[in-house]
Amino acid sequence: MAEKNPDKGYVAVLGWSLRAIDAMARFDRRYVIVAPEWAESYAKEHDIPFISWNFERLNDRSHEIAQTLKDMGVDVAIPLFEETVEWAGAINSVLLNNPRLLGQSMLFRDKSLMKRRAQLGGIRVGIFEEAMDKSDVIRFLKRVNQTLLKLEGDVNDPIHMKAFDKAGCLGHRVIRTADDVDAISDDEFPALLESHLDGWEFAVEAWIKDRKIQFLNISEYVTLGYSVFVPATPELEKWRGRITEQIEKLIDVFDIDFGFIHPEYFVTNDGTLYFGEVAYRPPGFNAFELMERAYGFNAYQALVLAFDPKTTQEEMDAFFPEPVKGASGHAGCFGVYPRRRVVSDLDIPEETEDHPYFEFHELAPPMEQKVTKRTAFGTHWGLVYFFGEDPHEMRELLKRQEELDFYV
Amino acid sequence: MTSSDAFDISAFAARLDYALEQLERAAPFAKVSYRSRVLDQARRLLMRPGGVAALYERAGRLDDAGIFGGTDWDKPAGLLPRLVGNTLRYGERATIILECLSLLRFLAVAKGAHSVSGLPGDQAQHFLTQVLALNLERIFGSTSEASRVQAGKQEIGETVDAVFAFLLDKIGTDDILGILIDEIWRILEQRPLQVGHVKGMIVQIAVVLEGDAVHGGEMRLGADRLISALFGPTRLSADDVGVERYRSRLDHSDSLAHLKEATGFARAMHDTGLVSDYHAAFVQWLIETDKTNLIPHALGLSSTGLDGYRCYEPLIIAIIREAIHPATGQTLLGLALMLERGILYSPPIAPSLWRMLSINVSEHTAATMTAAFGSACTPRAFLLAGLIDLLGQPLGIGQGNNPTCQSARALSMWALNDPDYLFYLVARVALSDRMVMHFEGQLLDSAELPAGLTSLTPLDTDPVSVLLVPHLDRIYAEMGRRCGDRGEDPHRWINPELHGWWVSRSFHIAVDVATGMMKDHAAFLARFHASYHPLYNGNQPVIHPQPAGIAVTDSRGVFVGWHAISIIRAALDHDGIMRVYFFNPNNDSGQDWGHGVVVSTSGNGERFGEASLPFGQFASRLYIFHDDDLSAQEMGAGVPAEEIGAIMAMARESWAGDRQPLDAAAQAI
Repeated sequence: MAEKNPDKGYVAVLGWSLRAIDAMARFDRRYVIVAPEWAESYAKEHDIPFISWNFERLNDRSHEIAQTLKDMGVDVAIPLFEETVEWAGAINSVLLNNPRLLGQSMLFRDKSLMKRRAQLGGIRVGIFEEAMDKSDVIRFLKRVNQTLLKLEGDVNDPIHMKAFDKAGCLGHRVIRTADDVDAISDDEFPALLESHLDGWEFAVEAWIKDRKIQFLNISEYVTLGYSVFVPATPELEKWRGRITEQIEKLIDVFDIDFGFIHPEYFVTNDGTLYFGEVAYRPPGFNAFELMERAYGFNAYQALVLAFDPKTTQEEMDAFFPEPVKGASGHAGCFGVYPRRRVVSDLDIPEETEDHPYFEFHELAPPMEQKVTKRTAFGTHWGLVYFFGEDPHEMRELLKRQEELDFYV
Repeated sequence: MTSSDAFDISAFAARLDYALEQLERAAPFAKVSYRSRVLDQARRLLMRPGGVAALYERAGRLDDAGIFGGTDWDKPAGLLPRLVGNTLRYGERATIILECLSLLRFLAVAKGAHSVSGLPGDQAQHFLTQVLALNLERIFGSTSEASRVQAGKQEIGETVDAVFAFLLDKIGTDDILGILIDEIWRILEQRPLQVGHVKGMIVQIAVVLEGDAVHGGEMRLGADRLISALFGPTRLSADDVGVERYRSRLDHSDSLAHLKEATGFARAMHDTGLVSDYHAAFVQWLIETDKTNLIPHALGLSSTGLDGYRCYEPLIIAIIREAIHPATGQTLLGLALMLERGILYSPPIAPSLWRMLSINVSEHTAATMTAAFGSACTPRAFLLAGLIDLLGQPLGIGQGNNPTCQSARALSMWALNDPDYLFYLVARVALSDRMVMHFEGQLLDSAELPAGLTSLTPLDTDPVSVLLVPHLDRIYAEMGRRCGDRGEDPHRWINPELHGWWVSRSFHIAVDVATGMMKDHAAFLARFHASYHPLYNGNQPVIHPQPAGIAVTDSRGVFVGWHAISIIRAALDHDGIMRVYFFNPNNDSGQDWGHGVVVSTSGNGERFGEASLPFGQFASRLYIFHDDDLSAQEMGAGVPAEEIGAIMAMARESWAGDRQPLDAAAQAI
C-alpha cells in the first residue's frame, strides 16, 4: 500500500488487530506484526509482515523475541493490548537499551502498584486497598461506609472492585451489599478495592513524545461501562488546563519519555481531580475509532509517531489537529447489554434507528436465548455508534439508550 | 418528497459516504472489518424515500471499494438469476442488502455507468430482466404465506419491493411483459375478490403498450384483452371516451346497439373476471332509462341465473341501485355469480338481502368502512357490495397481509355452505359492533374479549373481512384459550364450534402435540384415504367443506408454518389423476411447496378459487383433518402400502424430516 520511508523507524506491533494493521499498511513506517500463531496463515495470505509469538507470562524466551526484532532492525515495539504491555516494556528495554522501561511497564500492569506510585508522586487518588479474599472486601465496604458516618441500615455507598491486571472494565464490579460480595468467585482475587467517588468520570488519551504531550483528548463517559463520546462537552473541557497539569504530573511520576497513555479520572463537584488508573495501550470501547470519526486522524498511526524514535516534532505538529476545535462533530458509542433474561432476536429500537445521530451498529444476532446474569462490567454484546454536532444531545442520546431493548 | 425527507436522505447519504470512504481506504485484508457498517448504512439509506436512487448512484463505487469482496457476489458474471428470489426472501438482513446492492450494480453495468470485467452491459441487462420476471410477486405486491410468516422482515421486504420498482422503472417492462401478462391471467383465473393490484398492473402495461408497435402476436393479444376489459370492452366504449360521453352515446343508440353493449360487457366480464367502469355505468343507465330487460344480458346469465333473476327482479334492481357504483363495479361479477349459484331460492336469503338494503350500520361500522374503502359510496353500499362479491365468489376471499387464515377460511365456508348464517353475522356486527358465539355451551361475546392474533383491523381485505375478522379473530383466540390446556390440538374442539355442526367431530392429527414429533403417520394417511379418497371410501363425495391443516413448505421444501385450508372435494381430473380440490385463504393459491409439489389453480379441473394437488402430494403436506365416523368405517383397508409409504417419504423429505420419533428413526437405520 503506502510507500515505506527507510529513514523513519521500523516498528513492531504487539497484538493482532485488523484496524491497526490496516493503519500500518497505509502509513510510511515499516512494520511487523507480532501475534499468536493462529493469525499466521491470514497474515501470510495477505502479505502482512508477521512474527508468530505466544504472549503468555514473561519468561526466559522473552529475550529471544527482543533479539529477533533487534536483528531485523526494528526500532521500537508498540503494545496493542493490556497483555502485551509488559512484553513491549521488556522488548523496548533491549531495543532502546533502557532497562528502566521494563520496570515502568510492570507498574502499568498492576493497578495496585500503579496507585501507590501515583500517590507517592503527589497525585490525588481515592481510598484503595488490596483484597486477598472476600473478608477483605467486607471489611473495606464497612470501613468506607463508617467513614461516611452511615448508620447500620442506611444504604451503603458502593465500592469498586477491579482485577489487578485486566483491561478496562473487565472484572470490574460495583459492590453495595454483603450479597454482592457473596457473588464474587474466589478466582477473582487478588483484586483492588476502591471507594466510590461521586462525580464525573472521564478518560484521557495522550500521545507523548520527548516527555511532552503531543495531543490530548478527553473522552467523556456518560455511564461507565456503557457509553463514551469525544470530544467532551464544554463543561468537562473547561477543566482541560487542570487535566493537562495532571497528565504532566503522570509523565513525571511514571517517567514516561514517549508513547501513549490512557488514564481515567474523576472530577468531583468542587473541581478536585482524582486519579483512577492508567494504561499504556489503546483504550477499549473503540475510542480510537471515535477519534478518527471526530478528528479525522488515524489514532493508530499517531501511536506509531509517538513510539518511533525517528519521528520529528514537525511531523507531530503536522499530524495532529487542534483539540476540540479541530473536530467536525462529536462521535460516541454505546455498549449494548441485553436487558431481558431471554432474548431471541436483535431488534434496533425505532427511536435509535430514526435518530439523525445514529450511524451504525456492530451487534450480532443472539447466539443463545438465555442471557447469563451480568455480574461485572465489560461484557457488552456489541457497540452502537453515533455522530452529531451537539455534545449535550449526544450525552442525552447515549443515556437514553440504556433504557432501550436492543435484544428482544 | 417533503423537505424533511430531503434532509433525511442527504444526512443518511453522508453517513454512508463516510463508511464507504473507510472501506475504500482500507487495505484489502482489512476491508472485512468495514463491510458490515457499510451494509448497515446502505440498509438505512435504502429504507428512506429516494434511498434506492441514492444507492444506485453509489453502486459502482461500492463495488470498486470491495463491498462484495470474499463473497459469491464478487464474481457477478457467475451469479444465477434464479437464486436471487430466495436470497431476498430467506437471507439474513445483511445478505438481503448485499443482494440489493448487487442488483443495483448490475443496473449500473447495464446502463454503462459502471464496468465489471467479464460482465458486458447486455449480459447485465439480461440478468436483471430474468430476475424481474422471476420475482413478479415483488412487482405485484402480493405476498405469499412464506414471506408473511417472516413478519420481522416486513420492513426489509418493502425495501426490496422498492428496489424492484426502481429496477423495473429503469429496465422497462418490455422484456418481462409477456411473463407479466401470463401471471395476470393466472391470478385472474382464481377469481380473487380483490383485483386492485391486478388492475394496477394492467394500467402499467397499457401505458407501456400505448402507441407501441414493437410488441405483437400472442402476447399483444393477451394484453389487449385485459386492457380492453378494463377500458373499453364494447363497441361504444372501445375508445375509452369517459363515462359522461359514453352515456350520451347510449342515449343516441338504438336497442340493438344496447343489446350488443350488454352482451359485450358480459363476455368481457366472464372472460377475464374484471369489470369495466363503463359496465357499471351501463347497468345504472339501464335502470335509469327503464331498460331493465337488458340487465340479465349485461350480467351474462345462464338459464339458472336468469330464472333466479326473474323470480327476484325487484330485489336485484334494488341491490344494483344501492350497491353498484363506479367504485363497486366489480360487484356486477359477484351479483351474476351469486344468481348462478341459485342461493336465492333458499328461504332466508332474500329476506336477509332486504334487511341489508335498509340496515342502519353503527357509527363504528361506518367509520371502519370509510377508513378502508373511502367515501365514494356509503358504508352500507360498500358492505352490501362486499357481501354480494363474497356470495358470488366464496373461494375468492383472501386474508390480505394478516395472520388470520382461520377467519378468512370461516367466511369462505359460510359463504359457500351457510350463507344465511353469514348474513346474520354481518347484520349483527354492523348493527351492534359485536359477535356472539357459543363454545361448548358458554357464551363468547367479541365485544368483551381481548385481541386475538391481530390487534389491528385489517384494512387490506374485502369489506366483509374488514367488518368481521376482528371479531372472529377474537372469538377464535378465546376458544383456543378455553381448550388450550387439554393437551391436544385445540382445533379438535374449535373447528366444529366455530364453523358449524357440519364440521365433523372426528379429528385426526399427524403430530404429537406435546413433543411436536410425528405420530402414527401411516395410520393417519390410511384414514385420510378411507375418508376422502373416492376409490377407498366407497365413492363418497365431500358433502360440506371440511377444515384441514397444512404444513406449508417453501419452494425448497423447508417447513414454513401451519396453515388453515378447507377441503372442497376430491375427484379425478381430465387425465384420470385423483386430486384434492381445496380452498387456501391465502391471496394467491398458486404456490410452490417444494420437491415438485406445485399447487395448481387452473387447467386441472379447478373451479374458480380452487387450488388442487394430486391426492398423494396433498396428503404429504396434510397434518390435520376431520372426518365423519359414518363414512370411514371399515374402509381404506385397500390402500396400497407403497402408496402410503411414498407419501410418508414426501413428508419426511420436507416438513416431517426432523419430526421423526426416535424409535422410528432407529428403525429407518
